[in-house]
Amino acid sequence: MTQLHTHKRKHPWWSPERPWVWLLPIVILLAIYSVYPFIFNIIISFQRFDPMDKAFKWNFPANWINLFTNSDFLKAFRITATYGIIALVVELVLGIAIALAFDRSRVRLRGLWQSLFILPMVVPPVIAGLMFRFLQNADYGIISNILYALGIIERSEPLIGGTGRNVLLAVLIADVWQWTPFVALIVLAGLKSMPHEPLEAAVVDGATPWQLFWEIKLPLLRGVLAVAVLFRIVDLLRLFDYVAIMTSGGPGGNSETISHYAYRMHKSIEWGMVSVIGIVVLILAIVVTNAYMRAFKVKF
Amino acid sequence: MNEQDRQQRLYVAKMAEKLRAGKISRREFIRAAALAGFGFSSAWYLGGCAPARPAAPAQPAAPEAPKADAATGSGSLTPQQQFLKEVGGKFKGTRIKIVSENTSPGLVISKLMKEEFTPLTGIEVDWEIVPLDQVLAKTIQDTVVGATGGKGQSDIYYWDQAWLGRFVNDSIPVDELLAKTDLAYPDYKFDDFLPQLVRDIASYKGTKIGVPFDIPIFIMMYRKDIFDELKLSVPTTMPEYMDVVKAIHEAKSGQGIMGTVGQWKSGHYALQCDATAWMWSHGGAHFDADGKPMYTAEENVEGMRYMMELGNYMDPGVTGWDWGGQGDAFTQGKAGIFISWGEFFPGFDDPSRSKVVGLVEPADCPKEVKLRPREQCGYDETPGISHQGGSCLAISKYAPNPDAAWVFLQWATSADLTARANAQGANVPIRASNYTDPRVLENNKVVPGTTRHFEVTRRAIETRMGTEPHLPQWAALANDVNAVEYGKMTTKQQSIEDTLKAIQEKTEKALQAMRQYGVAA
Amino acid sequence: MAITQLPASGVTRKVEATQAERVARRRHRRESIAQTAVAAFIALFFFAPIAYWFLVSVKPLTYTMSWPPVLLSEPIFDWYEVVVLGLDPNVGAKTGIVFNGAAGDYYVIPYLLNSIVIGVLSTIVAVGLATPAAYALSRFHFQRRSSVIAWILSTRMMPPVVAMFPLFWLYTQADQRVFSSIFGRGTSVLYDSLLGVLLVHVVVNLPLSTLLLKSFFDDIPTDLDEAAMVDGCTRWQAFSKVIWHYALPGMAAAAILAFITSWNEFLLTLTVTRTQFRTVPVFGSTFDVSAAGTEWGALAAVSTTAMVPVFIFVLIVQRNLVRGLTMGAVKG
Repeated sequence: MTQLHTHKRKHPWWSPERPWVWLLPIVILLAIYSVYPFIFNIIISFQRFDPMDKAFKWNFPANWINLFTNSDFLKAFRITATYGIIALVVELVLGIAIALAFDRSRVRLRGLWQSLFILPMVVPPVIAGLMFRFLQNADYGIISNILYALGIIERSEPLIGGTGRNVLLAVLIADVWQWTPFVALIVLAGLKSMPHEPLEAAVVDGATPWQLFWEIKLPLLRGVLAVAVLFRIVDLLRLFDYVAIMTSGGPGGNSETISHYAYRMHKSIEWGMVSVIGIVVLILAIVVTNAYMRAFKVKF
Repeated sequence: MNEQDRQQRLYVAKMAEKLRAGKISRREFIRAAALAGFGFSSAWYLGGCAPARPAAPAQPAAPEAPKADAATGSGSLTPQQQFLKEVGGKFKGTRIKIVSENTSPGLVISKLMKEEFTPLTGIEVDWEIVPLDQVLAKTIQDTVVGATGGKGQSDIYYWDQAWLGRFVNDSIPVDELLAKTDLAYPDYKFDDFLPQLVRDIASYKGTKIGVPFDIPIFIMMYRKDIFDELKLSVPTTMPEYMDVVKAIHEAKSGQGIMGTVGQWKSGHYALQCDATAWMWSHGGAHFDADGKPMYTAEENVEGMRYMMELGNYMDPGVTGWDWGGQGDAFTQGKAGIFISWGEFFPGFDDPSRSKVVGLVEPADCPKEVKLRPREQCGYDETPGISHQGGSCLAISKYAPNPDAAWVFLQWATSADLTARANAQGANVPIRASNYTDPRVLENNKVVPGTTRHFEVTRRAIETRMGTEPHLPQWAALANDVNAVEYGKMTTKQQSIEDTLKAIQEKTEKALQAMRQYGVAA
Repeated sequence: MAITQLPASGVTRKVEATQAERVARRRHRRESIAQTAVAAFIALFFFAPIAYWFLVSVKPLTYTMSWPPVLLSEPIFDWYEVVVLGLDPNVGAKTGIVFNGAAGDYYVIPYLLNSIVIGVLSTIVAVGLATPAAYALSRFHFQRRSSVIAWILSTRMMPPVVAMFPLFWLYTQADQRVFSSIFGRGTSVLYDSLLGVLLVHVVVNLPLSTLLLKSFFDDIPTDLDEAAMVDGCTRWQAFSKVIWHYALPGMAAAAILAFITSWNEFLLTLTVTRTQFRTVPVFGSTFDVSAAGTEWGALAAVSTTAMVPVFIFVLIVQRNLVRGLTMGAVKG
């Protein structure tokens, strides 16, 4: 290490002894594909697209005022937040439970089960959305009918339909189905890399499996979980595919997320509004992840 | 469903398999199904198999294009093929581009295009299919790039009728194109397009900006078997329609057949279409003659009340269904009558996907309670219960290859092509000659891709057609204000009056913004 | 492994070894059955929707679009004939199925190839670029390091919806104003070209890959670098000849995740392609037909077909994925 420091001064910035040349390709690419849209959006967010002249015209600060006085957006904000928290908790709990089940030592044909289990991850969300629209059809959908039979939902309030009371459940089913494997996979990796000593010691001390989990495994998994949660937070904040394909934000705006609201604006060519929302989501994501990383001491 | 019922179904399913495999005749299948008590009146069904009208001539009158040898020039060419070869051949190697949604005529045309158009002309056609909302976004993006000095990506645009106002300056007017005598397709006959369609789906304020391409339109469709069973007669007035819906629902909802079915997916254009039909049929409209929104008018409130009452006789899933969900539900025999897109009809007679083969009849929509004349509405709005959702094809003003595109467009919308497309189930009768072409009439019977509903469709287009206003902001308003607010109404979050008031206010605001930019109404 | 075997040993060793062994073996078998049953149940539960979806693709719609569905009938492969073999979906001719009509076609194979080619190439490029960057972020302790990491992470946070218009604008403008003047009028270097789609897919994957690999390199002791450099390697040589071999499991995991992300990408691909390089998700979205309803059967056939290669892929790589993630990558 001392070597590094003494050499530092002598090396120009493009030397491989300095970090920049290593980072250059990805910095350039990310700059083009994320900094450019960001700046573009900041400018557009002060403008409105005039459909007839095909030109952007200044209307600062109307977009911004419009956004925060708009009850639809505020509702979308609320839905995104509630849904995000629920989905996160469900996926985490399920993910951990499933990872523990897969981590047992005497599972036969482990590879096959694991493959089947992570298969949902490779179904493109667009197609998964369409698939669930079929499976959750109020009339013939198999999932709907199972839920009717179990008495979880009423026929008068189907998953997608009725007054939209259960629509977030519909989205949640698709989301959980697709992303629990991701969480479980990361947790599984964490379990596999866990040091044996504390576990063995605890077993010798006569700890129950329950204690083993709460007092040993879970604390050791903290770092792993932190990463899984981080990626899920980022994705849930921009939840879009299922909503767009399955519900179009309805019924009655009950499944409208911020991202879908932005998409609606995109469809009706309110690009100024899209930009405003984009910036808001970005700021939101940065704030949330920052707070989260601080609170849980996650570091990269 | 009980076990017996299930066994019957399985039996019918097995017979259907045999039918598919060609092991039994259709007639045997029907008999088997009827014996199994599958619910359809076999006599009626058999009637459908033997069409009442004399069979159409086996050899179509208009010439079929010779396929592969047309390209090499051997064999005799029709004047049209001659034209494609000589005039179209000048653009050999050109690649023209279209973006559209996934529509029925597209399949047939793109198939014929590969077999006939491209071999004759050497023009390649890139046909991009995206979901409808993406078509709008992509098209606008393209016009923006075009208007800022570059060339667009697309040569031909596909415009839904709701977008016309927005694109009025983005196409080469059709009259200008028709004036190009050197590119005139032999026997193209623009007059053959139904004039109502030219006016309402391809023109804005009198300027023809595109060529009609397809025409989904609301007609009434009902289950003949249920009507017979309950001894109902086809409704001709709005109250009668409601009574029929109610009667069917009361008698049949226990067996899973609802009175009617809707397309009420909130935030989706389908909901706007549905609501608009009820609005118009009660004398309402969106805009008055001064171009001011008039949502809060009493007639509109009436229309919405009617719509919400119909909702009592629908499956609760309806608030999640767009037109696809609605069509699926009716095709699976889940409702007795509805007023919606005639485009569903050809699918009803397809045994592979339908449980109502031969059981559905088309009919004219019931008479409106009151109808607001076109003159009293703004932005070319034309009330009429037969809501249309047609679209046109237009040559982009920013097209890299406008001439080649025009050759293609004429070919794709020519009388011969549209008739053949319709005969193959494309269901887009946009020309008067489409309704009389023998190849189309041949399908006027219970077959997949039937044209049994064409007569009703034509009457709907010519006398009952309703067209939404065409102001530039309409696409945005219809989707993001109306469809969203109606969604709150259908899910009972908001009363009818509040809903209409909210739409009124938001529309006023949007119009104000429009005036701010000096866009004349 | 070691954990569950612990209590069995030790106590009964001296007393009747054979009987103890038998008891233990029997218990192991019981455990094995129970554990396998749980794992199988979970796996099948998650697999069930796909299985049902497959059934939809081999039954007439009248059977599956009703409750209860009729599932015990001979399968039909009409949709597969059209979707996989590219047979003409001629109305009512052979299949008896009316296709509502897509202007393109139903033939999925070209799109499948697109998806695979774009997925593989973009994965190679993304991991290839992310690995040295991750190495640098792990090894160099420069001042702005945490800001750079935060920035890389933040690029993943922009909703794709928001990037659609800027991206389209960038691509078409660059093509028209820059590349056209270099390569001649009408050339598409970015829009609807392999390069353009590839770059998008690469960029979408860079943040995750980089961060994943970075924590991976963190786990490889720096002694290795130093040893290599003492042996006379430059830093670049230390990385390219020695260190990256140790990171291989991590690179495999990153590559698998990158491929999956690329496979699933929809909105941005839709934005930058027309007809030439559409992927399976974009193709699938066109089955949602307006007015005439969704082509459920064909869609189910398409998605099942598209799942075959990725299922094989998953079957092969899942072990590497878990192992790769295990070795440090997810330390946080």
